[in-house]
Amino acid sequence: MSAISCEDAQRRLFAHLDRALADEDVEALETHLEACLECCDRLEFSRRLDSFVRSRLGEASLPPGLEERVHRALAVVAPPSEEP
Amino acid sequence: MAVRLATKRAALGPEGVMDRRGFEERALPHLRALYGLALRLTGDASAAEDLVQETYLKGLQAFVTLRDPDRVRPWLFQILSRLVTDRHRASGREVPLETPEDLDRFSLYDRIADEDPLPYSDRLHEDFLAQFRDEDVRRALVRIPEAYRVPLVLVYVEGLSYRELADFLGCPIGTVMSRLHRGRKALERELWDCALRRGFIKGEKS
Repeated sequence: MSAISCEDAQRRLFAHLDRALADEDVEALETHLEACLECCDRLEFSRRLDSFVRSRLGEASLPPGLEERVHRALAVVAPPSEEP
Repeated sequence: MAVRLATKRAALGPEGVMDRRGFEERALPHLRALYGLALRLTGDASAAEDLVQETYLKGLQAFVTLRDPDRVRPWLFQILSRLVTDRHRASGREVPLETPEDLDRFSLYDRIADEDPLPYSDRLHEDFLAQFRDEDVRRALVRIPEAYRVPLVLVYVEGLSYRELADFLGCPIGTVMSRLHRGRKALERELWDCALRRGFIKGEKS
């Protein structure tokens, strides 16, 4: 396994956070992180930023009347079939 | 049991094809999730409601083509995301994506460290982020190019994997990876611009 540069490591940080790196890429990144404090800090910041954004997006509450509105719209384009 | 059988029959049309009621039974439980996605993609409650309604109408028309009705949720998400993309193109508001190299070079981590806007903080990067309001983050997300925003929101809001996103967007995993990378970079830059506008940073306005 070849050593990777800081630039290569930084290019892989987001995919690492998303658990989308292949095993050999994870290994190469982790080897680099063991020796590079700055890339460790960058990874930690990216992780914090991701978690910060997710928490700020939060859950959207359903607007009152939307379900009824969708029901009505669907009923217009395709009337309910007869009950058997 | 009789009620359950009647419900099942009612969900099937004459040819065994799902009709409106069958569609509603399967699709409407995902209304809130769809609205959440629409809101994060558009940043506007009224536009999000319109988008959700249109998604359901398109979904109903195409429901017979869905091979696995148990996958109705990702399928509805896909319809909604495509509507966002199509509308954006049709509106002519699509701004050309800046060169990926420019975006790749941007680093919020470096900007914060270079400007050092909170000189007395011993947790500079963390304290910098804490200044943003929820609304700042939502607006920043809406401002990034749509090609990056859609996959990013799907990861943040729905937690889709890269494989799922590749299927969803109809592109190779490598493309998903680069869009998510640049999407995050674009989001970092929007947050930096927001910090400049809101005066967290006293430096040059660039």
